[in-house]
Amino acid sequence: MPGPLKWLGGWVLGGLTALVVGTAVALWVIFSGAFDATASTPHLAPVAWATHTAMIHSIRARAAGVKAPSRFTEAQVVAGFAEYDLRCAACHGGPGVPRATWAAAITPTPPYLLDAARRWSPGELYFIVNNGVKMTAMPAWGEVERPDQVWDLVAFLEALPGLSAGNYARLRASAAPPRPFLEGAAPPAAAHGATPAS
Amino acid sequence: MSPRPFGALAGAGLAALLALGACSDREHGRAFGDPDRGRIVVGRQACGSCHVIPGLDEADGLAGPPLTHFAHRTVVAGVLANTPQELARWLKSPQAVVPGNAMPDMALSDQEARDVAAFLQTLR
Repeated sequence: MPGPLKWLGGWVLGGLTALVVGTAVALWVIFSGAFDATASTPHLAPVAWATHTAMIHSIRARAAGVKAPSRFTEAQVVAGFAEYDLRCAACHGGPGVPRATWAAAITPTPPYLLDAARRWSPGELYFIVNNGVKMTAMPAWGEVERPDQVWDLVAFLEALPGLSAGNYARLRASAAPPRPFLEGAAPPAAAHGATPAS
Repeated sequence: MSPRPFGALAGAGLAALLALGACSDREHGRAFGDPDRGRIVVGRQACGSCHVIPGLDEADGLAGPPLTHFAHRTVVAGVLANTPQELARWLKSPQAVVPGNAMPDMALSDQEARDVAAFLQTLR
């Protein structure tokens, strides 16, 4: 066999070996129970890094097309607060407000969001709330809320860095109850902005 | 603050200083709480979403103060001496120590508060 082809043969053999061994290891991890799927033990550091980093880049890339309003109204912030306090605070807490005790038992543990608006753009926050995050406990709220309700939440998250614990408590005391979920409010198809089927 | 608690605080601080001189900080922390268990509690309680915590992945929050060099801090939350005992008191009920501050009462057990205090004392 001529020289160059001999080189190529070595690479092909090496590649095939890596493929077979890699597949065998992957199948072993999947079927042997070696992967610890319990929430009571933290992720291994490389797994935590890989999943968290992949999540960040996935959201940044996929939320790039979301068009956010240039500003939010105070009414949106107040409406968003009511949604947040009812549906989000148990897992994410608030200024001076602890998460529910069981939130610490979720893996990965849900973060406090006091500086979420400094980590994510409004469009990215909308994307996260609307679509949720796989393999965390974050639901896709867009499945049960209208887009304007999700934007209200984003308006609140944008205001959260400037909200003191005292003002959060005052909002709690004065805020109107949140608007109901889609299923109780309007026909889902109409609420999603789609035209009725018939 | 009335003079008597201050005396107790100063006494506790002095005792802590003497203890620090007598053994390494890590050993001292371990006698008070378990820094390794404390590290797990810090992860589970999502402390890193508000605080930069060296050595913890994803602990890059800027809502609260960074916890870098925590063992060298002299004052906790602006009002308490940075002794393991006082730190554990703060961790257990931050709203009782500084009402209306942004750090919530996280319902830590006494042991968890001591473990987290011991962990924070390892941050040089």
